[in-house]
Amino acid sequence: MHRVGVLLIKEWRESMRNKMVLIGVLFLPLVLVGTSIYMITSAEGSDPTEQIVLFNMALMYFLLLPAIIPMAIAVYSIVGEKEQTTLEPLLATPISDAELFLGKALASVIPGVLVSWISFGAFLLILRSMVGAVPLQALTAPWLAAIFGLSPLLSMFAVGVTVIVSSKATDARASYQLSTLAILPGLIPLIVYTTQKSLVNLRLIFLEGGILLVACVAVLYFAVKLFQREQILTKWKG
Amino acid sequence: MIRANGLIRRFGDLVAVDCLDLDVKKGEVFGFLGPNGAGKTTTVRMLSALIAPSDGSASIAGVKLGSDNREIRRRVGVLTETPGLYRRLSAWDNLLFFARLYTVANPAAQVEKYLRLFDLWDRRNAPAGSYSKGMRQKLAIARALLHEPEILFLDEPTAGLDPEAAKTVRDLIETLRSEERTIFLCTHNLDEADRLCDRIALFKTRLITTGSPEALRGQMYGQRTAVHLANYRPGLEDSLNLPFIKHVEVVDGELIVSLSDPKSENPDLIRRLVELGADIQSVAELKVSMEDMYMDLMEENHA
Repeated sequence: MHRVGVLLIKEWRESMRNKMVLIGVLFLPLVLVGTSIYMITSAEGSDPTEQIVLFNMALMYFLLLPAIIPMAIAVYSIVGEKEQTTLEPLLATPISDAELFLGKALASVIPGVLVSWISFGAFLLILRSMVGAVPLQALTAPWLAAIFGLSPLLSMFAVGVTVIVSSKATDARASYQLSTLAILPGLIPLIVYTTQKSLVNLRLIFLEGGILLVACVAVLYFAVKLFQREQILTKWKG
Repeated sequence: MIRANGLIRRFGDLVAVDCLDLDVKKGEVFGFLGPNGAGKTTTVRMLSALIAPSDGSASIAGVKLGSDNREIRRRVGVLTETPGLYRRLSAWDNLLFFARLYTVANPAAQVEKYLRLFDLWDRRNAPAGSYSKGMRQKLAIARALLHEPEILFLDEPTAGLDPEAAKTVRDLIETLRSEERTIFLCTHNLDEADRLCDRIALFKTRLITTGSPEALRGQMYGQRTAVHLANYRPGLEDSLNLPFIKHVEVVDGELIVSLSDPKSENPDLIRRLVELGADIQSVAELKVSMEDMYMDLMEENHA
C-alpha cells in the first residue's frame, strides 16, 4: 500500500499543475453550484410543484460531478503518461499491476467524490444563508441516497470507462470525448423525469444504484485486465 | 548475472526475438547492437521483467524470470529509449517519486546525490519539461541509478547529448564498471560500443555473433599491419618470405600484411623490410572500424 500512497501523491501533484484538470475539478463545480442556487432562489415563492421540479434538476447537476471530475483526472493521468512516455519507466519499478491500477483509480475517485460532496455542502450552506433555512426538498431520502450512495459508484464507473477508452486513445482530447459516455448513468434521473414525468424517488435511486454496481463490476473487470504490464506495453496504443 | 536460454518472443505471427542465448557476467559492459526493429527493446523488456517471453528461460541477478519479477525489477535499472519524465513535475519531484517507489532508504539524500552528480542540482526545482534534451537524458539516467541497481539496462544513453554530457555518461559507465555493476548497453553509436564494451553482441531477431570487439575483429579480418612506404617497389611483397606472414596485399603503395601475432611478429617484419631496402614511413596495426565490421556482419547475415 506504500506505493499506492506514493503514486497518489504524485498524481495529485501533477494534476495541480495541469490547467485542464484544474478547470474540470474546480471550475465546473463552481458553475454547477452557482447555477443550481440561481435556479432555486429565482423560483422562490412560486408554485411548490415547480420548486420540486427545480430541485430535481439541481440534483442531476450534482450527479454529473462525480462522473465528470474523475474522468478529467483519469484521462490526463493515463493519456498523460502515454504522451510523456512515462509508462515504461513506471512499469520498470517494483510497483505491482494492482497497486498501479489502484493508485490511478483512487487518485481520480477520491477527488471526484470529495468535490461532489463539498459542492453539495456548499450548495446547502449558501442556500441556507440566502433563504434562511436548509430547504427540506434537498434533504429528502432520494437526494441523500443519490449524493452519498450513487456518487462513489458513478466515480468508479467513470474511471473504469476512462481506463478502457484511454488505453486505445492516442491523445487526451480524443480520450476525453469518448469517456464522456461515462456520465450517462448520472443522467438517468433526468432521462426518467423527461420521459416519464416522474420525480426522483428512492426506488429509482436504488434501481440505478443496483444497475450501476453491476456495470461498475463489469467495467472495472475489463479495466483491470487492460491495466497489466504486458497489455500496456504491447497492446495499448502509444 | 544475465543468463538467457533459448529466449523467444512472438507477437502473433511475428517473431521479435528468436532463440536468444546470452551469458553476461558480473561487472561486464555488454553492448547489444542491431538495426532498428531488430528486437533489442523487446529483449530488454523481457530481461527487465516487463513482458514475458513466449518460450525459453532466463535468470537475472540470480532470480529466475517469471518466479519473482518484482524482485528482478528491484535489482535492475532501466533507461528507456525516451527519457520519459513527468514534464510538469520538477527534477526533484521526478526523482523523489521513483526513489519512494523503489523504497530507497534515504530518498532525499539519494536524490540529492544524483542531482549533484549530473550537475542538475541548481535546476532541481524547475519543471523537467523546461530542461534541454541533454539535461532530460541525464535526469533519466539518474532515475535509473537511484536505487543502486546491480544491473543497468541502458538504451541509447548518449543519444542527443552534447559531447561534454556524452563524456560524463561514458565516464559514469566506466565508474559503474569499476563498481562491479553489470551494464547492458543498447546503442547505435558503434564507436561508443567499441570504446566501452567488454563484449558486444550483434543481434537481428537472432543473435548473429558475440565476443569482445578485438576478438570479433580477429575472427573476421585477422590481425593486420599496415606498412606505409616512401617508394613502393613492385614485387617487394614477394621477397618478404617470412613464415609467419599469412597474406600480403598492396593498397595505394601501402603493404597490408596479415599476421597471427603483430606484437611479436612486427619487429621481424620491419627488420626484413629494412634489409630489403624499403623506406618505411610508418607502421601501424590496422584496426577495422566497428562500423565496417558491423556493416559486414549485417550484410553477411542478410545474405
